[in-house]
Amino acid sequence: MPEHWIWWTLTVACVVWYSTITLYVAIRGAFDIKGMLGRLSQLNDEPEK
Amino acid sequence: MVGQIMTHLSWIDGSIVGVYILATMVAGIAVRKYVGKVEHFLIAGREMNLYLGIASLAATEFGIVTCMYTAQLGFKYGFAGATPGILAFLAMFFVGYTGFCVKPLRDAGVMTIPELFELRLGSRIRWLSGVVIVLGGLLNMGVFLRTGGEFLVAVCGFDPKYLEITMTALLVSVAVYTILGGMLSVLVTDFLQFIVMSVGLIAVTILILMNVGWGRLTGVVEQQYGAGGFNPFINPDMGWEYVVANALLSVAMVLTWQTTIQRLLAAKDTKTGQQVYTHTSFFFLCRWLIPVIWGIAALAVLTPEQVGDKTLLAMPKLLSQIVPVGLMGVLVAAMLAADMSTDSSYMLTWSSVIYNDILAPFHKGQWTEKRGLLVSRAIVAAIGVFLLVYGLWYPLQGNLWDYLTVTGNIYLSSMSVLLIACCYWKRANSWGAAGAIIAGATIPIAFLVMEQLPKTEHFAKDIIGPHFSNIATYAVAATAMVVGSLLKPPARNAQMERN
Repeated sequence: MPEHWIWWTLTVACVVWYSTITLYVAIRGAFDIKGMLGRLSQLNDEPEK
Repeated sequence: MVGQIMTHLSWIDGSIVGVYILATMVAGIAVRKYVGKVEHFLIAGREMNLYLGIASLAATEFGIVTCMYTAQLGFKYGFAGATPGILAFLAMFFVGYTGFCVKPLRDAGVMTIPELFELRLGSRIRWLSGVVIVLGGLLNMGVFLRTGGEFLVAVCGFDPKYLEITMTALLVSVAVYTILGGMLSVLVTDFLQFIVMSVGLIAVTILILMNVGWGRLTGVVEQQYGAGGFNPFINPDMGWEYVVANALLSVAMVLTWQTTIQRLLAAKDTKTGQQVYTHTSFFFLCRWLIPVIWGIAALAVLTPEQVGDKTLLAMPKLLSQIVPVGLMGVLVAAMLAADMSTDSSYMLTWSSVIYNDILAPFHKGQWTEKRGLLVSRAIVAAIGVFLLVYGLWYPLQGNLWDYLTVTGNIYLSSMSVLLIACCYWKRANSWGAAGAIIAGATIPIAFLVMEQLPKTEHFAKDIIGPHFSNIATYAVAATAMVVGSLLKPPARNAQMERN
């Protein structure tokens, strides 16, 4: 185990977690944007109908 | 001419940065057509879903200013400098998991925290809360632009005389899409910025860990700061008061920091809002530890002569030396992304409080959507002008993080006390709330003024210090809330509830 293992563990956890979550959020977030803009578009059209 | 300005940026780096800026501007401006109401402009029509919320909150809460002050803490305190990140992570997870305060807040269906206060504490408290939130928030954000400009100048190797131009260019590019698209533009650009920022942060961190090495990082901290570089409680510049002050700040920030709360209120429902908190909580540790490691790397690699007395610029100086062509472009784009997402969110969030709460007595919710949108956009523009002016003249003294905590506490202390009391204490009333707001704002403002005056500078900095000032702010605000509420006759409470 490297020196100062608590800080080493936290550092590794940050790099691994952050890399993973970035990829996951990048994919799921794109769908969220699509859904949000779709719903707002519908809401903006409703009064005109 | 270009060659003289861009000493560290190759054409490859410049192209990466240019493509990023262009993509952000196009995306930010493109969504303006979906803004039909003030509610769309300020909180995206409450249509934000979980993953967009995570990206947006993470991007907003990490700017160049975050990177700079955190790296400065790493440079000055070693790994112990990441303590506020651990506390923020714990606070964020606890609040998200339990729904402490945030559940009743989101359930109330309000657009800002002061709007909730009006329901329990009256319209005057709502107005007063809006004033201190904006005062603390704008003073806090006032240093963002200059810090961002200083980072870019140092990393890119610009001549310092281009600092003001860099600041202005940064602000104008952000203001354009924020004014046009409001929260919708902020969310969409935050998403892009989260990806670019994360790629840059991870790549540079791996580069530093590989080039400098873990042994050298821990070795230099041991050599410079001993055990105190790893443990804040035994660090002579930190101690228990630093941990307590930052714990209070973390809880208050999670509960009432307007940019964080705006994501909760923009979420499609309460459960999604809470999930944004729990899922983003670990990011708050990452956003601290990663720049702390960059700061420690600067301590290990740079000589004291290279750093000089401006420890804030140690990290960007290091990056300008070790980051290779190509990755430098990614780094600058990442930092621009981090800064633009932060600036845009902060401009919008304070404008939402000004419109929704401070101007409430004027519009009384009766302005047309068109007029409301026009005024909201004008407020964002006015905040941009303020940032430029304030950023140019305010002389920052001491640690950047200390300045941010003191200015943030102008409202964080009283608003967190008010929110907790509002949600869970039936005796809470307007007298206690007014006392907490005044007491909570007075102590940090007095500290800031004393710090600037030559006669009181020593007393403020060396005898009281920012940590005790911050702890006192929370203690006095809470006391004022309890005492004031108990002093108000029950008959007056009942009368107010009827009104």
